[in-house]
Amino acid sequence: MSAKVMPRVMLIGSPNCGKTLLFNRLTGLKQKVANFPGITVELASGRLTERPDTVLVDYPGTYSLQPMSADERVAVEQFRRGLLDPDMVLVICVVDVTRLEKSLYLTLQVIRQCRAAGKPVLIAANMIDVLQGHGIKIDLDALAGELGAPLVPISARTGAGLGELLAHLPEGPQPAPPPAACRDPLAISPDMLLQQAAHQLARRYGPKGDVLVRTQNRLDAFFLHSWAGGVAFFLIMYLLFQSIFTWSAPVMDAVEASLGALAGWIVPWIGPGIAADFTSDALFSGVGAFLVFVPQIFVLTLVIGVLEDSGYMARAALICHRPLKIFGLTGKSFIPMLSGVACAIPGVYAARAIESPRKRRLTYLAIPLMPCSARLPVYTLLIAAFIPSTTLFGGLVGMQGLAMFGIYFFGLVLGLVVAGLASRRAEAVPDLPFFLEMPPYRMPALKPLLQRALHRCKHFVTKAGGVILAVTMTVWVLGYFPEGGAELSDSWLASIGRLIEPMFAPIGLDWRYGIAVLSSFLAREVFVGTLGTIFGIQQAEQNMVPLIDQIHASGLSPASGLALLVFFSTALMCVSTLVILARETGSWRLPAQMFLVYGVGGYLGAVAVYQLATVFSL
Amino acid sequence: MNPIPTGATPNETSLWSVQRGASACILGYRDQLDPAYRTRLAEMGFHPGERVRCVLRPALGAPRMFRVSNTVFSLDRELAECILVTPA
Repeated sequence: MSAKVMPRVMLIGSPNCGKTLLFNRLTGLKQKVANFPGITVELASGRLTERPDTVLVDYPGTYSLQPMSADERVAVEQFRRGLLDPDMVLVICVVDVTRLEKSLYLTLQVIRQCRAAGKPVLIAANMIDVLQGHGIKIDLDALAGELGAPLVPISARTGAGLGELLAHLPEGPQPAPPPAACRDPLAISPDMLLQQAAHQLARRYGPKGDVLVRTQNRLDAFFLHSWAGGVAFFLIMYLLFQSIFTWSAPVMDAVEASLGALAGWIVPWIGPGIAADFTSDALFSGVGAFLVFVPQIFVLTLVIGVLEDSGYMARAALICHRPLKIFGLTGKSFIPMLSGVACAIPGVYAARAIESPRKRRLTYLAIPLMPCSARLPVYTLLIAAFIPSTTLFGGLVGMQGLAMFGIYFFGLVLGLVVAGLASRRAEAVPDLPFFLEMPPYRMPALKPLLQRALHRCKHFVTKAGGVILAVTMTVWVLGYFPEGGAELSDSWLASIGRLIEPMFAPIGLDWRYGIAVLSSFLAREVFVGTLGTIFGIQQAEQNMVPLIDQIHASGLSPASGLALLVFFSTALMCVSTLVILARETGSWRLPAQMFLVYGVGGYLGAVAVYQLATVFSL
Repeated sequence: MNPIPTGATPNETSLWSVQRGASACILGYRDQLDPAYRTRLAEMGFHPGERVRCVLRPALGAPRMFRVSNTVFSLDRELAECILVTPA
């Protein structure tokens, strides 16, 4: 089958200009992460919803075509490559009309380069709804005339003007017009003149007065206040972790009950025998135990999405800059680290925005110690098994939520300490200065947030689901035979388990937990599936019993539970993160070191915690 | 755009010392500022002749917030001290 080359449209713009929101609007968030070789992996591309024969490509934002950070370098390199691509039929340059002064220099550079390459360029004047909301009018026709490029006022947030934007799309690949570089006065201007031209245009056409920043300033005065800002920061972080437990609990219970009811209906229908045993033990107890946690991933992604879209993340980065500096990091490390709470992989990509290679490397060390969503099922299971679900202060504070906050805090502190120790060991180099744009506060749009959370859940299920299914099937076969599920302790799995049992004895774990820990080195979530399958085989004749009850029945002590929490929050058990780290750093050295040090460190930490907890007779 | 040596203009001070709510006019940059940062600052709007307003000075030495036109940036001490200004 010959691959049909599709016409492509590229989006380029400065950071925080609403480019990604526009991309999601135009593609319906059906984008896949493009699998280009090397560093370009995170470019998003997707078919236009209204024009499925055309692909839209989104690049990271950049202030100019002179990149300073790794993500800007990606954008500029891809832009230059796109100009040479005959299938690239249009360049859409997104401009934030509320803040022309930061967008127009890049716009003029893009127009100049596109003209030189003979590519059509279209200006998407975004955030027109904000101007209209404040009753501000700017002469966009005159601005388009000065820029010498067609301009369409749009709002990526409300969807206004998108029809007109799409109407500018050419039908199929266009023959490239001859380069106009020599005739274009801008093409021969040095960048400094271009900068001055951008400033003059921004001054002439940009919105006047301070009406647009008044609300932002008022909110900043609160969120960055000496003590109120600090209190708000801790409160927001605390709510984030409480919400993971409290908001998702009813849905998790519902999923668990539905799976139980489904198993109760399907398993008797199959009839007694190996097929029913497999369905009950491997599918419902193994894979089902993992599916119960999907609502938590949804809530976590949603809450982090609200923080990102509201503009609070930049404030949090500012608050954290000084404290993070103590550990050799920067305020910009906060965003990759908090992204790492959802998943380490976007966290590693987000670290590209850190200009200093040294600080980026230190941030890489901290990211895999952030409590990612793959750890969440393990944490939830162990906390629910050992921490009572009582509440304090009239239901305001839940003990389990508090424990979750504690374990998340542990991951954060560990990440900082590791970065701090590595920074002390590394050669001293002059510090690069810090600057960060403070985006305006915005009410997050619900639809894209929900779409993103659903997308993340789908990704979580499909990515981890395959691994979990394969592992649970293997574990089930090894645990079921040769006794036909009659006696787990005589199975092949038990024989393997007893071989590795001495390694887990210092943590007080028997071979069943040993097997579950070992299998989770592929992906942490596998722990839950494996444990579910093992207990499923053991209790084959009974109805589906919640995993938490099975853990209680297994005689796992709280000391071992605590030790397991320490091990899982330290060890780097994620093949995908190791691969991405190797790709980003250009070698396997750092991920190999991290795998070894975090694994051994986690094990020793777990042994120490178990032994200490045993002394205090937990 | 050339950097102006310290002391060339009366009332010259660094952006870091501008009080909250006060405005200043950018004169240039200190010599020690990396050319890449000089370019980036100019691209963001911190170019000589531009009026900048200090919006917020958070406590404990945290980066301070400066407004250029309708955009607010936070700059840390190292960077803001390299930008020379005069009260506007």
